[in-house]
Amino acid sequence: MIFLCRMDIRNFFGPTASSKKTEKTKLENGSKVKTEEKKKEDKKKHKNEQKETKKGKKIKEKEIDSSEVISIDDDSDTDLNSNKRNVKTKESKLKKSPAVNGKDKSPSSTKKKKKHSVSDDDMEDEEVVSTKKKTKGKKTQRIVDSDSEDEPSSKKTPKGKSKLKAKREIEDSDDESKPRQNTLDSFVKSPSPNKKPKQELKKTPGSEKKKEVSVSDFFGSGSVKRTERSTVATKRKLDDIDVTDDVEIHDDDDFQDTLKQLDEQQSKKAKIDTSPEKSIKKSSETHEEESKSQVSEKPSLASKLSAKVSKQLLEDTPVKDNVNKLETFVPDTPVVKSPKKSSPQKFTKTPEKSSPRKSTPKKTSPSASKMEVTPKSTPKHESSKTSPGKTHTSPETPALERKASYRSYLQREGPRALGSKEIPEGADNCLEGLTFVITGVLESLERDEAKHLIEKYGGKVTTSLSKKTSYLVAGRDCGESKLQKARSFGTKQLDEDGLLNLIKTLPGKKSKYQIQAEESFKKEQKEALAKKKSVEIPSETDRTSNKLSQFERKPSTPSSSKSHVTNKTDQSEESLLWVDKYKPTTMKQIIGQQGDKSNAKKLLSWIQNWHKNQAAGIKPQGKFFGKDDGAGFKAALLSGPPGIGKTTTATIVCKEAGFSFVELNASSTRSKKSLKEVVAESLNNTTMVDFVVGSTAKTNGHKHCMIMDEVDGMAGNEDRGGLQELVQLIKSTKIPIVCMCNDRNHPKMRTLSNYCYDLRFQRPRVEQIKGAVMSIAYKEGLNIPAPAVNEIILAANQDIRQVIHNLSLWTASEKSMTYEQAKKDSSNAKKDFKLGPFDACRKVFIGGEETAGMTINDKSDLFFNDYMLAPLFVQENYIHVVPFSARGDVKKHLSQLARSADSIAEGDLVAKKIGSNQAWSLLPTQAIYASVLPGEYMRGSLPQMVAFPSWLGKNSSTGKTDRILQELRTHMRLQISGDKKSLNMDYLPYMRRSLTDPLVHRENEGVPEVIKIMDDYDIIKEDFDNIMEVTKYPNSKDVFGSLSSKTKAAFTRAYNKEVHMTPYATGVASKKKKGKGAAVDEEEIYMEGEGGGEGAPAGDSEDDEEDNVELDTMIKVS
Amino acid sequence: MSLWVDKHRPNSLQKLDYHKEQASHLKKLVNGGDFPHLLVYGPSGAGKKTRIMCLLRELYGSGVEKLRIEQNTFTTPSNKKLEISTISSNYHIEVNPSDVGNNDRVVIQELIKTVAQVNQLESASQKDFKVVILTEVDRLSKDAQHALRRTMEKYMATCRLILCCNSTSKVIPAIRSRCLGVRVAAPTIDEIAQILQNTCKKESLNLPVDLARKIAEKSNRNLRRALLMSEACRVQQYPFSPDQEVTEPDWELYLKETAGLIIQQQSPKRLLEVRARIYELLTHCIPPDVIIRGLLQELITNCDGQLKCEVVEAAAYYEHRLQLGQKAIYHLEAFIAKFMAIYKRFFEEGIADLF
Repeated sequence: MIFLCRMDIRNFFGPTASSKKTEKTKLENGSKVKTEEKKKEDKKKHKNEQKETKKGKKIKEKEIDSSEVISIDDDSDTDLNSNKRNVKTKESKLKKSPAVNGKDKSPSSTKKKKKHSVSDDDMEDEEVVSTKKKTKGKKTQRIVDSDSEDEPSSKKTPKGKSKLKAKREIEDSDDESKPRQNTLDSFVKSPSPNKKPKQELKKTPGSEKKKEVSVSDFFGSGSVKRTERSTVATKRKLDDIDVTDDVEIHDDDDFQDTLKQLDEQQSKKAKIDTSPEKSIKKSSETHEEESKSQVSEKPSLASKLSAKVSKQLLEDTPVKDNVNKLETFVPDTPVVKSPKKSSPQKFTKTPEKSSPRKSTPKKTSPSASKMEVTPKSTPKHESSKTSPGKTHTSPETPALERKASYRSYLQREGPRALGSKEIPEGADNCLEGLTFVITGVLESLERDEAKHLIEKYGGKVTTSLSKKTSYLVAGRDCGESKLQKARSFGTKQLDEDGLLNLIKTLPGKKSKYQIQAEESFKKEQKEALAKKKSVEIPSETDRTSNKLSQFERKPSTPSSSKSHVTNKTDQSEESLLWVDKYKPTTMKQIIGQQGDKSNAKKLLSWIQNWHKNQAAGIKPQGKFFGKDDGAGFKAALLSGPPGIGKTTTATIVCKEAGFSFVELNASSTRSKKSLKEVVAESLNNTTMVDFVVGSTAKTNGHKHCMIMDEVDGMAGNEDRGGLQELVQLIKSTKIPIVCMCNDRNHPKMRTLSNYCYDLRFQRPRVEQIKGAVMSIAYKEGLNIPAPAVNEIILAANQDIRQVIHNLSLWTASEKSMTYEQAKKDSSNAKKDFKLGPFDACRKVFIGGEETAGMTINDKSDLFFNDYMLAPLFVQENYIHVVPFSARGDVKKHLSQLARSADSIAEGDLVAKKIGSNQAWSLLPTQAIYASVLPGEYMRGSLPQMVAFPSWLGKNSSTGKTDRILQELRTHMRLQISGDKKSLNMDYLPYMRRSLTDPLVHRENEGVPEVIKIMDDYDIIKEDFDNIMEVTKYPNSKDVFGSLSSKTKAAFTRAYNKEVHMTPYATGVASKKKKGKGAAVDEEEIYMEGEGGGEGAPAGDSEDDEEDNVELDTMIKVS
Repeated sequence: MSLWVDKHRPNSLQKLDYHKEQASHLKKLVNGGDFPHLLVYGPSGAGKKTRIMCLLRELYGSGVEKLRIEQNTFTTPSNKKLEISTISSNYHIEVNPSDVGNNDRVVIQELIKTVAQVNQLESASQKDFKVVILTEVDRLSKDAQHALRRTMEKYMATCRLILCCNSTSKVIPAIRSRCLGVRVAAPTIDEIAQILQNTCKKESLNLPVDLARKIAEKSNRNLRRALLMSEACRVQQYPFSPDQEVTEPDWELYLKETAGLIIQQQSPKRLLEVRARIYELLTHCIPPDVIIRGLLQELITNCDGQLKCEVVEAAAYYEHRLQLGQKAIYHLEAFIAKFMAIYKRFFEEGIADLF
């Protein structure tokens, strides 16, 4: 353990400051702690206990583990050493306790170890907050004593030296603490330079230590201190156990971000405050409030502790006397805070830790901290947490935020308050950055629920373990391989309770996106302010920028003009849609187009080199040859789904390239004529901007281009010939043309795309959109958790415009939105996505989870997906379904089939009514009959693919047959008396026989006889073939087909040799029949009423034509 | 060498073989001078068209037998062109308005107007009206029937209508009341057998009575079919033998096979097969009511007692649905599924009763 500590310390100090300084800071903290001890009412009790038992604990620890013993010795001997170790351990486990708390921390760590090694229950309770607090108090007292004791330890290790220094410092700090109380305000405003560096140093080393302390480090340090705390812990409630577990978990990766922030805050604070006094003041104030609340909650504890505290206070500092118990607590808390802050620093490996920063405390929002405080329930925790936060935070508002974040951070470590109940609600984003793997069956949560729960709080759930996995949530019957893997990776394992506790106890964070957003926003504001000051006189550029600024921008780019801000307040905010308000104004702001190989960059280089390339006469190259820079193409075609920024990209690229542009979109008429007149002329124009604007404008006269938006919308009568004309324009253009469309593969685009530089836009990834959305939310003052934003984005299918619109809509009434709300709204929005008829049909029948929750409305919505096709699909596929209700019983299955068929038939009746009476209000009725009921009867599994309704094809061929019959009857009408039906059913079977039998039996000699019959009935060769076709059944033998080819040829030749007189016109006249489908059907199948008289004589080309016609009419029918 | 059906069709009222009393009534009607609109109805193959042609010959003489096919073009109010073929002589015009589907109203209005607005040139030697024959009136849309109603009265002076249909049930009462109904019932078995024998005699063939009756029964009292069948028998085998096999049309055989499949096995898979076969029939333009009747006749032979009632009831139920609905396959399938369910249940219960 000692070695570990040493290493850590060295490392920490190395980069930032000397070890001595750090020690000093610790000492100071210790002194603070002493003064602050009064604050902790609950802690007092514990502290007393701890004080009494510390030594005893240490002894116990020694007995248990040698390493522990050593550490214990250090603790007992020197407060400084213990502090250091404690700090490390604390950092890992608890954010709360700073150097002063170090003692407490060390016990906590030891507790943790104990949990692991020995018995968890007792240790856990003690571990977290209470023990630390108590120890703090003890430490302060001991510090004086410790100096003497420290000597041996210092000799042994560099730490000892630092401890010595720390001791000296402690004395100083004590002195300081007194003055602090006296003049808090003065200190805050004008911190003494001496104090500042000390604090900074202290913090930074602490942070470093924390950083270095990985899990292993924590364990090491923890083990030493455990024994002490464990004893303390035993005294405390069982609730603490859970808390400790949680704390450990937090240490790993979760809080790195928050830690960083905290570090930054701390550094800032340190600079600002310069002296601990300020911090104390703040902390005292906050602590007072908190302590009061705590007191009210648990007066008994407070009273008990008060005695101890008062004793301590007397010993330590006179200040305590002045202040109430609450105040006394306050001083303790600040001390705690400093170590805590340092701890986050340790975790974070970034260089930021070493150097103090003024960064804003974004991570923990005050609201979040409040939230956390309430769930934790134990007043002790609150006080401790709050106090440190206050100390760190500067008097400015950001300081408050820091405090809050700090509180929340502390809370996770803190032990449960006695008698308090756990609240399932966790802090916002408390799981952010954590990765979970769920295995086995959890006790009370379904896996989905657990997943939602984790995702709700910003955690990530993956299916397979990796080194990055933070926790393995293991339930009953969990996978052995996963457990092994977890062991090998050192992944922590949780049960369900552990997970819940984690959520309860972890402090909330701001999501990184939100932080980004805030940072960028602040930067913008700062810049804007700077600009304002600098630029008094509005220049032309300012004007333009003002205009541009109306479209407000995204979070990613910090550069926003002041005009931007002012405009916001002035005009744009009220009137503009968010989509326009936050429209990107520079290329950097375009979501998903920042990369060097992004479409925007490509387009920019293309458009910039356009004139050069054209002058050079470069020919367009294929996409796969040479570099894909579009050189030689005279136009570009941007394609991609809606709402991902195609138009925005085009306009911004034009601006960046210094091109002025003319935009034509679907709102303009773009027919061949208008394109020719309007556009063609403008292609050779120069812009007047040069002359008007004057000197500043550097655009060359010819630098303009044309943007043709929504070219796939160029259709219909309005834009007739537009696309062809556009292609012509592109061929002859002297300026770049940028076209945009959604579906590049649409047949309409085929011609155009040959002449265009092809740029395909993909949907941005969720994270990319998320950042932008969070920043908008921040600027709009919305309180939306990051997971909720995730849901919204997914629901909109990564359509940025849709996301922003939805966000705007859903937050119109309330400025905040919970995860559940977002999820619900998103699922509603999802409903709008179109379902294909195949999927819809599958959903009608399929059983199980997918459809379990569907209401009758949902089910009938499946029908309305396509109310023309849906009944056909249902009818086609219901037989394939294996209903669950039948349970394999054929009889039951058949009866369900019968019921379904009956219902479908009923639906047909309704459809008929709708069709004939235009009674569209019956459509829902049809939905029930034709889709919902069959679905209910048959609900089960669909063992095969959903088949396309064969009715359409059958109906088509029915129509064809009908047309043939009509034609035959027309031809034979003079001879026969029957109508079409009797012709089909009576005449033709026998006619077929009499037409073929002579050929079959007598072959060539039979030919004249057949031709005679044909002439008698006025039928021609085509009719002959038709008769063969119409009368052919699967069960009938194909007589004519079985004839020898010789006979057939003889028949054809003989027929063609003669001239056949018919009473009807043949040939040309038949063409007139186009468009008339014979629609005489006995069942009145045809609703379209397009039947045409088939009286026209048959022509050679008739069949083909009529087939087409028939197909068309069929389409209408369906 | 036309088929016997057409070759030996009687062409005057006197030569008709059955319903002779009705024929004499018609003759009196013609001679009486006042000739009303007629509504001739009766089953297929009963001789309606033959009777009408005989009547026209009685009215105008043999001139009506000089027929020609004409194409007429009409334009709907929505500027859609309709073409319809008509058969006409100098004295009459025959048209099947249902050929143009839902636009039959335009045809009726325009056609009858054009015909009726022209008077006969020679009123001395001829009747002073022309005749318009509308076939398949029962398949006219309601619109067309309503249009017809007014036209019938307005042009009474120059034209008479002879409506021809299978059933009056789908003719609106307003039209029925304006016409003299002439029911041409299907000939009896005996009459058919007699006619067949007479026809064979004309062809110098000898048709045994037994075979004649057998054919008559097979033909479902459809004289046209009976004649065609007898000719087919002639082609198949001559001289006739009384126990000769009478060939049935392919579609009928196919339908019977289908019914056999249903009886054979009741399962969803079989239902799918049957559906495919029904589709086959439908695509051959076999009317669905014929299909359902054919199925029922086959299926019922395998049922007994209580089951028979149930099946017939189901068939009637779905046949009615068939008339009301628009997609025949739905109702046919529903009937088949229903039958399968009933039959399976009955069958299993029967087995259960045995044990």
